[in-house]
Amino acid sequence: MTSTIKDQDHALQERANHLVRQARLAAAVWTQYSQEQVDNIVKAMTVAAIENVQKLAIAAHEETRMGMIEDKILKNFVASEFHYHQIRDKKTVGIIREFPEEHIVEVAEPVGVILAITPVTNPTSTVIFKSLAAAKTRNSVIFSPHLMAADCSNLAAKIVYEAAIAAGAPKGFITWVEKSPRLRRETELMMVHPEVDLIFATGGTQLVRAAASSGKPALGVGSGNTPVYIHKSASYATTAMDVIISKTFDNGTECPSEQTLVIDAEIAPQLLAEFQRLNCHICTAEEVKKVADAVIDPRTGGMNYKLVGQPADLIAEKAGIKVNQYTKILLCPLEGDLRHHKLAVEKLMPVLGYVIVNSVDEGINRALDINYGGGTGHTAGVFSEDDDVVERFADAINAGRIIVNSPTSIGGLGGVYNNLNTTLSFGCGTGGGNITTDNVGIKNLLNYKRVPRRKNYTLTFQTTKNIYINPGSIDHLRSLKTKSAIIITSRSAARRGHLSMVMERLPADCKVDVFSDVGVEPDFSTVEKAVAVMRQSPVDTVIALGGGSVLDAAKIMRLFYDNPELKLQEVAVSFLDFRHRISVFPQVVHTQLVAIPTTSGTGSEVTPFAVLKDNNSKRKLSLVDECLLPNIAIIDANLTKSMPKEITVDTAFDALTHALEALASTFSSDYTDGLALEAMRLIFEALPETLKNPGHILWRHKLHNAACLAGMAIGNASVGVNHALAHSLGASFDIPHGKANGVFLLSTLEYNSKIPRKFMPTSTYPLWVADQKYARAAQFLGLTDEDAPGETPSREKMCVLLRRAVYDLARLAGQPLAVAELGIPQDQYEQRMIELVTGSFEDMSMRTNPALPLIPEVAALLASAYPPRQRP
Amino acid sequence: MSGENADQAVEQRRTEVLPIDGPLERGIDHIDRTLATGVNLTLDFTGCKFISVDGLEWLEELLLRSDSLGSKVVFTNLVPSVYKVFKVAHIDSLLRACGAPSQPTEPYC
Ligand SMILES: [Fe+2]
Repeated sequence: MTSTIKDQDHALQERANHLVRQARLAAAVWTQYSQEQVDNIVKAMTVAAIENVQKLAIAAHEETRMGMIEDKILKNFVASEFHYHQIRDKKTVGIIREFPEEHIVEVAEPVGVILAITPVTNPTSTVIFKSLAAAKTRNSVIFSPHLMAADCSNLAAKIVYEAAIAAGAPKGFITWVEKSPRLRRETELMMVHPEVDLIFATGGTQLVRAAASSGKPALGVGSGNTPVYIHKSASYATTAMDVIISKTFDNGTECPSEQTLVIDAEIAPQLLAEFQRLNCHICTAEEVKKVADAVIDPRTGGMNYKLVGQPADLIAEKAGIKVNQYTKILLCPLEGDLRHHKLAVEKLMPVLGYVIVNSVDEGINRALDINYGGGTGHTAGVFSEDDDVVERFADAINAGRIIVNSPTSIGGLGGVYNNLNTTLSFGCGTGGGNITTDNVGIKNLLNYKRVPRRKNYTLTFQTTKNIYINPGSIDHLRSLKTKSAIIITSRSAARRGHLSMVMERLPADCKVDVFSDVGVEPDFSTVEKAVAVMRQSPVDTVIALGGGSVLDAAKIMRLFYDNPELKLQEVAVSFLDFRHRISVFPQVVHTQLVAIPTTSGTGSEVTPFAVLKDNNSKRKLSLVDECLLPNIAIIDANLTKSMPKEITVDTAFDALTHALEALASTFSSDYTDGLALEAMRLIFEALPETLKNPGHILWRHKLHNAACLAGMAIGNASVGVNHALAHSLGASFDIPHGKANGVFLLSTLEYNSKIPRKFMPTSTYPLWVADQKYARAAQFLGLTDEDAPGETPSREKMCVLLRRAVYDLARLAGQPLAVAELGIPQDQYEQRMIELVTGSFEDMSMRTNPALPLIPEVAALLASAYPPRQRP
Repeated sequence: MSGENADQAVEQRRTEVLPIDGPLERGIDHIDRTLATGVNLTLDFTGCKFISVDGLEWLEELLLRSDSLGSKVVFTNLVPSVYKVFKVAHIDSLLRACGAPSQPTEPYC
């Protein structure tokens, strides 16, 4: 006995292998077909199906004894003619979609071998539908029909297959499991067959579940239980007719068809009267009980499968109630708690429940009871002239199709009453245990190969519009268009005489306030204080007079003055790429900002950056946006004449670092390179001269210009790892910015001139050229190798020469080049190493460095910066 | 004969190079006949841009026959669209004739 079963299983497995192998070879051959060949084949299949719609409808009705021939003809037309109409012009071979703005194209790849399970309720139409879909997408399909509909299903498959072969399709691309008592077992074997790529299951819940648990990709359907809410605004007459068309379609076998109506009390009397007039039977409470006993299987609580697709009079007879033979639907009022009513389930026959409700809320809630009572994700309907009601209904109900003012069954099929994709397979999403809520079709039978082209950013160069650039240009203030200005400055500006230089030159009729409380590291409370002053006495102009902190603070003050609703958190979110940042800056600028730098360092007068101390953490908040750019910058070296030597050198080293980092940045461009190179050249030339003769305006002027040029360079190219380290050190040990930059310069220049361990992934930086950039800088500065005069230095040597020049300049200027020289004890420095590394990584400057610094590399850079330097 | 000796015997046979010109829609008699003479075959696919299901089945049988005859059949110069047909067909003998390693039949990545 055991061996017999084994033999049978072996024979079944052989049959399964044979079917799958045919399908597999055909799938391979399909890959060579063009769109034109495919379209010709699909057309031939459609023609053959249309020629046989009636023959197949009769065959289906005879075999299954379900539904109505007339409606099965319509279903066959939907699966062939309507389906073809919809897919005819769709591309399914080669490039099928293009997204020019995203620089992406989609290329089709067939899924391969499809195991298609087809139902008893729509046997021939489903086979026609899936065959056309498979051919259109160059897939093979093996049909496993429902046992009770196997002959008509396989007949349909044979008809379309023969037409396809005559039109040149690959041999064996459609196959089917022959009717036999072991059909189900054979199907199960194929569900787990390694050569089946996708299961496309339409049919009973058990099979769909088996498909989903086969471990293969599966397209399934869920069970339905369609609620239809009829709002008082609907037309009762058209609603009644639509519901009748839908619920009687193929005697109710269509799973999206209406199961329970939820009717507003205001419209119920007319609607029910209309149903009666059109020959629907409204059951009494006693009859409802009888119908329920007949159509509900007491063992399962679900519908009695023997009555699926039977006409209303026959069902009435089985239930023992008298109706006339032309009765269309048995309408059953569902009294009591709907959730517990026996008839509140799916009934694929002309038996329709209804409840009456007194409000939209109640209506949607009762519809939810049906929707979540076995039909989640499937289909629902709403009749309403009030769009708001439709929207609320659609928002609440979980259904892949929410059909409005039309029949849900034919409406769900798509193409006849609406523009839904034509289907005989209704995806129910996760609510129904499916992967999609689509009307499943060709779209779901393809693999989509996305081909993205490299992102091409529009690069731009932005800076302050009006820049006055020579000594004495502060005189521009005399012609400044302002009636009320506030000068934002620090205490030292008054001491150094800068404040009076500005006040004297402002127009006589201009009301002037002064806010001079900006300290070394302003925080948001400073901004708030200044903005409060400005609100008390409104201004049209903000004049920022001072070093980098003053200029940065004034930029933020102007932003918050112009945008009273703005929150700091909204604009200070960290980001990887400023083009993708979350922060949204208001683009409203009412107040003009005049920036007058009194140091030659940050270049803040021409950058869209502003840094603020965050009192909650140790870190600094960086704000970046074009709207922060000042409108006017005045680069007047007369304001720097009294700058002490130490600050002169510190700020010059900040500017030099800007030039060096902008040059190597991943965002550098020809525009920023020119600025960076010239800024460097000016600093190397003018700083030693200024130190020799601090009062000489020409060299001060050159230094002042250098800082501004370097500012324009970083304003567009940003900085790099050196600034990240400097910010971290500055925050931990309170070191002035220029000094903090200086101590890392020799380490980072060396680090960035070596082939990175990890390149920086940036679309706009396709080639690592940091070493070439440094070599070009050395060449531009005219650096020569004193050890090998007359020889052309290698690129590597040029990088060394650049570091040597930086070393020599620092030594000449007395600028520290190592952390030890800042007076920070080694043990303290080492104790805070983790904090320093973390702080560096949080810094945005890191992200435009030409190499992506690794954590150990950052630690090594920090460590190497401690001991005093040797000349490179 | 040890495996090594058998391999040597195959290597020592004469090799005929035969082109497959045009679409391979069915078996090619003269190739069958040439194989039967006991030579090794190199099938040159330079001129072949399409293979049908029958063509695939014939190639598979040809390889089976060559195995039983103790000779060797090698495919060369396949255009990508034809090579892909072999890849999708998952027929190990065809892939080996192209010099490709055996391929797992389950989807993998
Ligand atoms: Fe800086």
